Amino acid sequence: MPTAAKQGHWLNVPLSQKHLQIMKICFILLFITFQAFAGKVPIEVSGRVMDEQGNPLFGATITVKGTGAATTSNANGYFVLNSVTENATLVISFSGYASKEVRAERSIGEVRLGLSAASLNEVTVTGYTNYARNKSPYASAIVSADKINHVPGLTFDQILQGRVPGMSVISSSGQPGQSASVVIRGIGSINGSSAPLYVIDGIPVEANFFQTINPGDIETAVVLKDASAKALYGSRGSNGVIVITTKKGKRGGVSVQYNSQYGFSNLSRPNFIMMNTEERLRFEEEIGVSFNRNLGPGWTYSPKNPAYASGTGAFRQRADFILDSLRGVNIDWRDMFFQKGKFQEQQVSISGGNEGLQFYTSLNYYNQEGVAKRTGLERYTLRSNLDFKANKLTGSLNLSLGYSKSSFTEGEGGTGVGTAMSAVYYALPYEYPYASDGTLVHPGNRSSYFILDLREGSQSLERLLNSSSKSDQVKAIVGGSLGYQILPSLSVSTRAGIDYRNSTDLSWINPDSYYGSRSVANTLGGRGRFDEGTRRNFNIISTTGITYANEWNSLHDIEVSGFYEYIYNDFNSFGFTGFGLDGRLIETPAAITNGSATFLPNVNGSKTKSALASFMSVARYTYNDKYTVTGSYRYDGSTKVAPVNKWHGFYSIGAIWVAKKESFLKNVDAIADLRIRASYGITASPLGADFGYLATYSASTSYGGVTGIRPLSPGNPDYDWEYVNEFNTGFDLNLFPAGRLRISADIYNRITSNMFFNQPLSATSGFGSLPLSSGEMQNRGVEFDVSGDLIKSNRLTWTVGVNAAYNKNKILYLTPLATELLDGDTRIFKVGYPYGTYYAPAWAGVDPKTGEAQYYNRDGSVTTVYNAATQNATNSGSLYPSLTGGFNSSLNWKSFSANILFSFVSDVMRWNNEDFYNENQRFATSNQTIRMLNDRWKKPGDVATLQRFDIPRNFSSKDIQDASFLRLRNLNLGYSLPAWMLLKVKHIKGVKIFVQGQNLYTWTKWRGLDPENNSVYGRFQYPNTRTYTAGLNVNL
Amino acid sequence: MINKFYKQYSLLLVLFMGALSCTKLDLKPTDSIDPEKAFRNIGDINRGLIGAYAAVDYTQISISSTISDEATFPTENTVGNSDAYRWLYTGSSGSVTALYSDYYRGIDRVNRTLDALDKLNFTEGDLPLANRYKGELLALRAYFHFELLRAYASSYKSGALGIPYMKTSVVGYPARDNFETVIANTKADLVAAKALIPSAFTDKTRITLLAVPAIQARVALYEQNWADAITFSTEVISGAPLATRAQFPGIWTDANDNEVIWELKRVGTTDSRAGDFYFRQTGGIVLYAPSMKLINTFARTNDVRFAAYIRYDPTRTGTKSQYLVNKYIGGTATAPGLADIKLFRTGEMYLIRAEAKADTGGDGAADLNALRAARITGYTNEIFRDKAALIDAVYTERFKELAFEGHRFYDLRRRNLPVQRLAIDAVNASGAVTLLPTQAQYALPIPASEVLINKNTVQNPNY
Repeated sequence: MPTAAKQGHWLNVPLSQKHLQIMKICFILLFITFQAFAGKVPIEVSGRVMDEQGNPLFGATITVKGTGAATTSNANGYFVLNSVTENATLVISFSGYASKEVRAERSIGEVRLGLSAASLNEVTVTGYTNYARNKSPYASAIVSADKINHVPGLTFDQILQGRVPGMSVISSSGQPGQSASVVIRGIGSINGSSAPLYVIDGIPVEANFFQTINPGDIETAVVLKDASAKALYGSRGSNGVIVITTKKGKRGGVSVQYNSQYGFSNLSRPNFIMMNTEERLRFEEEIGVSFNRNLGPGWTYSPKNPAYASGTGAFRQRADFILDSLRGVNIDWRDMFFQKGKFQEQQVSISGGNEGLQFYTSLNYYNQEGVAKRTGLERYTLRSNLDFKANKLTGSLNLSLGYSKSSFTEGEGGTGVGTAMSAVYYALPYEYPYASDGTLVHPGNRSSYFILDLREGSQSLERLLNSSSKSDQVKAIVGGSLGYQILPSLSVSTRAGIDYRNSTDLSWINPDSYYGSRSVANTLGGRGRFDEGTRRNFNIISTTGITYANEWNSLHDIEVSGFYEYIYNDFNSFGFTGFGLDGRLIETPAAITNGSATFLPNVNGSKTKSALASFMSVARYTYNDKYTVTGSYRYDGSTKVAPVNKWHGFYSIGAIWVAKKESFLKNVDAIADLRIRASYGITASPLGADFGYLATYSASTSYGGVTGIRPLSPGNPDYDWEYVNEFNTGFDLNLFPAGRLRISADIYNRITSNMFFNQPLSATSGFGSLPLSSGEMQNRGVEFDVSGDLIKSNRLTWTVGVNAAYNKNKILYLTPLATELLDGDTRIFKVGYPYGTYYAPAWAGVDPKTGEAQYYNRDGSVTTVYNAATQNATNSGSLYPSLTGGFNSSLNWKSFSANILFSFVSDVMRWNNEDFYNENQRFATSNQTIRMLNDRWKKPGDVATLQRFDIPRNFSSKDIQDASFLRLRNLNLGYSLPAWMLLKVKHIKGVKIFVQGQNLYTWTKWRGLDPENNSVYGRFQYPNTRTYTAGLNVNL
Repeated sequence: MINKFYKQYSLLLVLFMGALSCTKLDLKPTDSIDPEKAFRNIGDINRGLIGAYAAVDYTQISISSTISDEATFPTENTVGNSDAYRWLYTGSSGSVTALYSDYYRGIDRVNRTLDALDKLNFTEGDLPLANRYKGELLALRAYFHFELLRAYASSYKSGALGIPYMKTSVVGYPARDNFETVIANTKADLVAAKALIPSAFTDKTRITLLAVPAIQARVALYEQNWADAITFSTEVISGAPLATRAQFPGIWTDANDNEVIWELKRVGTTDSRAGDFYFRQTGGIVLYAPSMKLINTFARTNDVRFAAYIRYDPTRTGTKSQYLVNKYIGGTATAPGLADIKLFRTGEMYLIRAEAKADTGGDGAADLNALRAARITGYTNEIFRDKAALIDAVYTERFKELAFEGHRFYDLRRRNLPVQRLAIDAVNASGAVTLLPTQAQYALPIPASEVLINKNTVQNPNY
């Protein structure tokens, strides 16, 4: 019987069937023996400590509960502990990981420590304070590294989708590297910003520019949602704060990690189907027969066309021949404009350290092709974090450098003819782009060929092949901090950081193409175009503070801090456009013609800056570890508001009660923990424009080549902050011993007052609108997060989590002049209704008798006369979701792991503008959906979806469609190679292989391309893609 | 011990001082101009005036082509919106309401510049120039208001709903002035302008002393003040004779500017291109084609206007329109569609005088025949049997002479005539053949946004 005398030896014995039999018998015998002597015989216990990814943990502490005997794991994670009483409890702990208790037995095998929520919850990092979780009244959520790292094809903000209750993350495009629209606890602003503040290692970074940040370096993302946490950020905090901490080195040795994954992306399918050639020709013939309208060759050459009947025999023969050959062509234009996008990511990271110094350095290479041709993202990043401690001095240096290259397709999200995204659906199925000699036949050379279609697809293809749109980005986030402990209770700290971005945008149109040879404003003189420009954003922050912290009699715990902070932002852009290119010089300014009036180049650029100075103090008092009150006050001075309102104070108060520590709960085992929190405070949201309060003139007008001057903005000398008052209360409840069921719930009420609102003006004032600070809006909601360990044993753990949030948005006040105003041409701002409420005539279906389109009048009567002004109604729902969330599950069994994430968005409506183009007689010369063939009214009695062909297609409530969705966001299956396999390979401590899929399936009623898109309408946007990858993590 | 404390606190002090020193909150914008510095001198007044000229564009031309009978919406236009062509517009239709805010924006620029001009003190040397600028500004203000009146008045009669006449730059919510009030204010501004602009100023791209009576003549036509119409048109005709037949085509390629009284200069690479309204270069799509109704009125070979206005291209086959609007083709091959926009021509003055004389029993036929003779090779004078026939002939001549110059729709309205299209011109308009004066769309709608926010205004009837 090979007992565990020496690490690993028993694993090396070849296991024959006979051996197994013997082992089995021996084991049973031994088991019986040990049962008999339980708790009496001291044994030698051995095992191995690893993290969840299967990397050995060096220096983990293994303590015998009760006796205090302890040891630590070696560099490969192995440990041996002598003279342990059988069945004693071992506590295995490692800094930064959740401790685990296991029963002592001779061979424990692998023990995996996770960055479990419980561990991460110990401290809430806000950027200014690091309060223990049970001493912070904040409503916050933490997403840990294992959920953020290695997710393919997404920026880190998109990765957070479905992870945090109350945080809606909706992508804006399937373009690789595109940031999402992130909204926490409902939209609180109409003309201001709704984007949260992103802070990485204490440095605020620009939203929407995450393509050059490597999610693999992130250790945690803390989402601050309530006023007591957000008020620390004062005038920048009202939309919530996402505090990101990157990875740090761990004490004890050096660890090298290599991560690699490869994969591909596919186009997801829409819920509408365009006609194929057979259907299209039949459609053209039907329309010709019924309405004598010629939509194309399907009618021109139809035997049912009177011209055919009266035509010569030769004509008829030719007509038959033409239709026959057209039927032989059947193009699915997706094949022309989309592709299977390849993906790969490689990362090497080295980390480690000792007591005084820890470091983490990573290098990452990322290359993702988009599913739309010509799109992609290639990225190189370097991250280097250094932490040191010398006596009373502590410090850190965080450096992130990145370079990315993005390539785009043009016309995404537009309905115009001639762009790749819309041509996929507009182009006719019998349009074959190439002539027999391989020439691309476009509107410029079509007259040399016999062409019967509109060439909408070929024209777009020609454009796609002869132009480029690219952006290079350099991103640097550099920060450092120093702290000094003056007295045991008094410390000072200072921190400074820079967020720098330089984007270089390039676009090029080939002068030798049809697209580049048009003499239009876009390609002056008809010989191509070259644009290049840079956008530089520079943001510097400096924070200095002093903290006093003390405890008395183990009852009173106080912490008070004071800070001074200064933030300065500088934005600079410059660009030029040149014409008259030489086609041999590709994508370079060297090709531009200068000194010619025909090809007059254009230079543009802008500069702006802003600054914020703040004084703040934060205080916390805790009594007996049970009762905590916190308070904060921040006095902000900004260059963005009118001088009279420049300085303003923001405060918050909060309290938390750790009920579990009360005597009446202390001994209730069913309740592992119970905390009750409440907070109230005031914050503000940042203004979009830097000098929005100023009335200004601009010189950007000219007449006859002479520059003039024009009023630009009416300004508003009273322009003020957009204030948000917010109340939050909630609880954290852990049930059953060891907290196997964890429930966290919050309710909140957010009122935005002084809300920016561009009040429309009478045209006679010369301006379209006046910026006012007059609006008021409310967001009320509940959110909860429940997770439970259904099975929890050494070998098998199964965890399930659900989070969801319901938010109700309501406009309370607009302007002194109006209680309702139009919001674009499909929505309305109306007091008492949510922001984003649609305003459309209600669709009353198709009249079965006549086939006419019917609409409801406001009095409920049905009419065939369309009049938006008198029929518009608010019963089509709203653009912003009220119910969002996600659920996840993870299963770990021996060396296998499976993780799954679903995300959902519900009660959200969007304007599907694609139907308007794909099911409209006005655009019927372009391809249409098969509903136009099969589901339109044709004869009296038809109960049809679509009206008679000749009836105008108008915007109505049927275009406002349910964009709710449930998406299988991520599925990850992993396997860590067992230790015995690795023993033969020197220096390798752990290997994990995995496969994962992103956006594998979507359940939705949405008829358009992708329900997940933050645009107010569905208009041929770049859909999110389905990505499959396989990867490998190696630990050296 | 004390020493150590000093060290520590001085460190603290240094940290705070260092942090505080970088406080700077007095930032100023670099990319916009402070209103206080917008008008410093006579040069800035001209810049303000240039800004106001920049607000004038070809919108009236596009509106009239879209909703009158001079153009058709061809089958090949699969990229446009035929709703306005089918008279389906409402206050939410930008195609017919954009002019409202565009021209009030121009008026506001005028009023701000006028206000600044009155506040500045000019040197003796600058004074004549300041007077001229003031004259141009006043005339421009009158022109903007009058164009708005043509477009948005409920009708052209006393008591009809007009538009607010803005004499100062103000954020307000004015009610609509009556038709006659707008006319009176327009006339007053023009009279004032006439006294300020020197005759030596002859830049046709701006308002000259000759342009003022041209505007006055058009105002008089809409006011049906026939005496004024005759007086002012005569003033213009005597100052600027008709172009010869040889010169005529060159007007439209900007080779010459004969008989042009005032035109909008279109140069460079960013100015609007009127030709783009009719023809899209990318894809080679005719967006609006001359109507057969218009084409049929021309003697193709003898009338110099036909080739200048309309291009026939037999190489365009299938659903492609063979007729194209040629008027705004522009003079350079490298910038097609970039053409000066002629706002006032002597040809219009002849027709105004002809109509005024015809209506008052004068010799309108003389002016009509004179114009035809200048346009048509081998023309022989026509004799008209009565006043109605003469006015009818003047109307037909206006249809031809002023096609695609932003007149036709308003000319029909002046005499309460329906817009009547040929069936062949309405094949893509689902039966939009006739627009009766009783229909709401016969008067353009005030923008819905204006009606919503300005409680003192009212929409035109029946919208």
